[in-house]
Amino acid sequence: MKRLLLSLAVVTSTLSAAPDDFVRQLEEAARVASIMIDGDLCQKIVTPRAMEFMFQTQPRDKWLASDNYDVDDAAFTAVKKTLIRISRLISFPADANLWMPVAGRPDKIRIVIRNANEMSQFWPWGALYQNMIPAMKKVLDSGRPLTVSEKPGWASVLAPVSNSLGDVVALVEVASQRSADAHANVK
Amino acid sequence: MLGLRCVVLGLLASALAAAASVEALPEHARPDPFGDIVAVDRCPSCAWQKSVALEAARGGYVSFHLVVKLPERGDYSVSLEFEKDSGIELDVFREWFHLTDRDRSYYPDALIPVRFPYRSSMPEPDNRIEKQTAQAFWIDLWIPRDTRSGVYKGKSTLRSAAGNAELPVEIRILSAVVPDRDVITMDHNSYGSSWLASQYPALQRRFGNRFFSSDKFFRLIHSYHRIFYEHRGTFHQLGYGHAGKVGPEFAPALEGTGKRKHVAGWDLFDRHYGALFDGSAFTGTRRGPRPIPFVYLPINPEWPASFLWWGEPGYEAEFVSVVSEMERHFRQKGWTQTRMEVFFNHKKRYMGFSWDGDEVRFPKDDAYFLEYGRLLRKAIPASTPVRFVFRADVSWSMEEQFRKLAGVVTMWVASGGILSWYPEAPAMLHKRGDIVWYYSGPPEVSKPASTITRFPLQGWLWGVDGFIHWLAVDPGPDPWFHFNGGATALVYPGERFGVESPLASVRLKIQRNCVQDLALLESFKEQRGLAGLRREAAQRYNKSTPEQWWNPRPAFADQPPYEWTGSDIDRATAATDRILERLEPDAWQRVRQFVLQLASEEK
Repeated sequence: MKRLLLSLAVVTSTLSAAPDDFVRQLEEAARVASIMIDGDLCQKIVTPRAMEFMFQTQPRDKWLASDNYDVDDAAFTAVKKTLIRISRLISFPADANLWMPVAGRPDKIRIVIRNANEMSQFWPWGALYQNMIPAMKKVLDSGRPLTVSEKPGWASVLAPVSNSLGDVVALVEVASQRSADAHANVK
Repeated sequence: MLGLRCVVLGLLASALAAAASVEALPEHARPDPFGDIVAVDRCPSCAWQKSVALEAARGGYVSFHLVVKLPERGDYSVSLEFEKDSGIELDVFREWFHLTDRDRSYYPDALIPVRFPYRSSMPEPDNRIEKQTAQAFWIDLWIPRDTRSGVYKGKSTLRSAAGNAELPVEIRILSAVVPDRDVITMDHNSYGSSWLASQYPALQRRFGNRFFSSDKFFRLIHSYHRIFYEHRGTFHQLGYGHAGKVGPEFAPALEGTGKRKHVAGWDLFDRHYGALFDGSAFTGTRRGPRPIPFVYLPINPEWPASFLWWGEPGYEAEFVSVVSEMERHFRQKGWTQTRMEVFFNHKKRYMGFSWDGDEVRFPKDDAYFLEYGRLLRKAIPASTPVRFVFRADVSWSMEEQFRKLAGVVTMWVASGGILSWYPEAPAMLHKRGDIVWYYSGPPEVSKPASTITRFPLQGWLWGVDGFIHWLAVDPGPDPWFHFNGGATALVYPGERFGVESPLASVRLKIQRNCVQDLALLESFKEQRGLAGLRREAAQRYNKSTPEQWWNPRPAFADQPPYEWTGSDIDRATAATDRILERLEPDAWQRVRQFVLQLASEEK
């Protein structure tokens, strides 16, 4: 709840002020992402087998879920290339990351594609899935974009992605840092 | 009468126990701060010594723990001197006693360089152990290659308010010389360089935003290479992340796109690697300047070619153009000794790319290796003197990859557990000119000190070329008072002690001495036969045979690797785990005695 209130407070404060060029560029790229990312293709990325193992645990095999993580190469590559193009709409280093909810687990969210600047405000390094982020839930529920600035110096614009049925099935996090750290996440 | 005699004897014993003393322990018996030996290192041959008698070959180190014991708080000074003309060089380190969070015990590991005579007080002020009564010093004696063989005498002297004491030290120097060439490469791995800023916060503050481009930063990186080199090892620093982000000092700067993509500048790259590739970073070391033997290149699916063009002509154009420039640059600089590794570390579970570069489990991913093999052949002239190698870190599907990627991958870093099913693999891979290493990790300090000798010995018994400690520079947030055990650290940041370079550890020293012994042992293979030497070493180490260091290939290995489980693998490697799980503290000492026996027979 504390996280939700904080997120909403930050969102409100960001939106109530006139966006500076930094945020404006991210928002423009996110708007394009909502149009250009193919939700049906996104739904084909992670293999059914990987989803089957994602929540399985075994005390004697702590890598069970991640060792079975696999993706459809063609779908992954096609969506990733579009995400890279979207990030290139921005004049400073930024990433467009794909996030998706987990069918049957409304309390969870997972990152599906990351990009070359390794920027995200929300991904704890290494997680296959994580607890639903309130701002992301809001985007998935409402189908409207949201700008979030939880970490100092960061902004992420969350843009909904729909499939051909009109369902919001994913979201793109267009993220950047005002002062980029050239050495972070080189690991 | 009997009662009076008991009282007198009791008083005498108490007076003796209360006296100040300087004593010694063999390297594999680590002292604790209370005058005892750490529990896991106790063994019948691990006793306190009132005099030291050592034997050593030339061109190597011989080591022991020197321990000052005081009955009460107070100041002391301690020294160690040898006959003036001995030529023996003395390196002294104060042993830091780390308090582990897990078992709330003290273990000595980080080694702080000091000079003798060393003056301090008990308890050692900065180590903050209230009831400390013993301070340990790691003594490294370097025996130059030109030292005359014979017996040399020395003496350690302790002066304190509680009394003075002496410890005679005698060293017999053999005519045998430790070969310079190692029989196995001991590699120590790390990721990126942001950890340097966190481990050296004062330095980072001093340079601010300029830290990562300062000369000091590059000297710090070189000091990590140097400490591992001085301990007969190597150091790797991976310069990119799982989604392809490249640290600026790990790659040349690039400009342009498609067929116009090119190298725009080598400044940071050359400042980082120039002294490592020409060996000048090692000037002044006892082993002498020598180019580093291996290095990770920054090549990954996102560098130098953008993944945006994957599968299109632009990907090949960008990749071939920049890699060709790298080859030319290395050739023009004369950087032809180091093996330049094209290595894909990414895993699809970290969501950067759709295939596993590291530890392929799904056979479809091998197609990417074949494609990069094609691109490399196009980028690098067949006649280049630059030593590019295509490295793959393999586990699940190594058996199939050894076949499918023959002639493409030329350096294999294999999971030790799964490699243990394939005793024929090292010879088969060597026959086609490939390099074979396996993966390991440093044992925690709470394991017997001899545990770290398992890895060089295993590699030598297996006949592979090297092994990697997966992560060797991360001692955790507070190694000094809340230690996590050190399973990812063999060195420590020196900044706390005013040293702008890493500190070695007891485990690193023991590992060095072990591989030094192996180099000497293998030098007798002409006379004794390599198989015989291996058999004797294994027998002395843990009463095993070389065959017991391999496991039978399990039946499930006939199934596709994506059908196996981690538990299956654990069961299929349990036999070798069992023979190594209760390693005796003096296991390596018994092998060393064999080596020294052979060496002393040499004229």
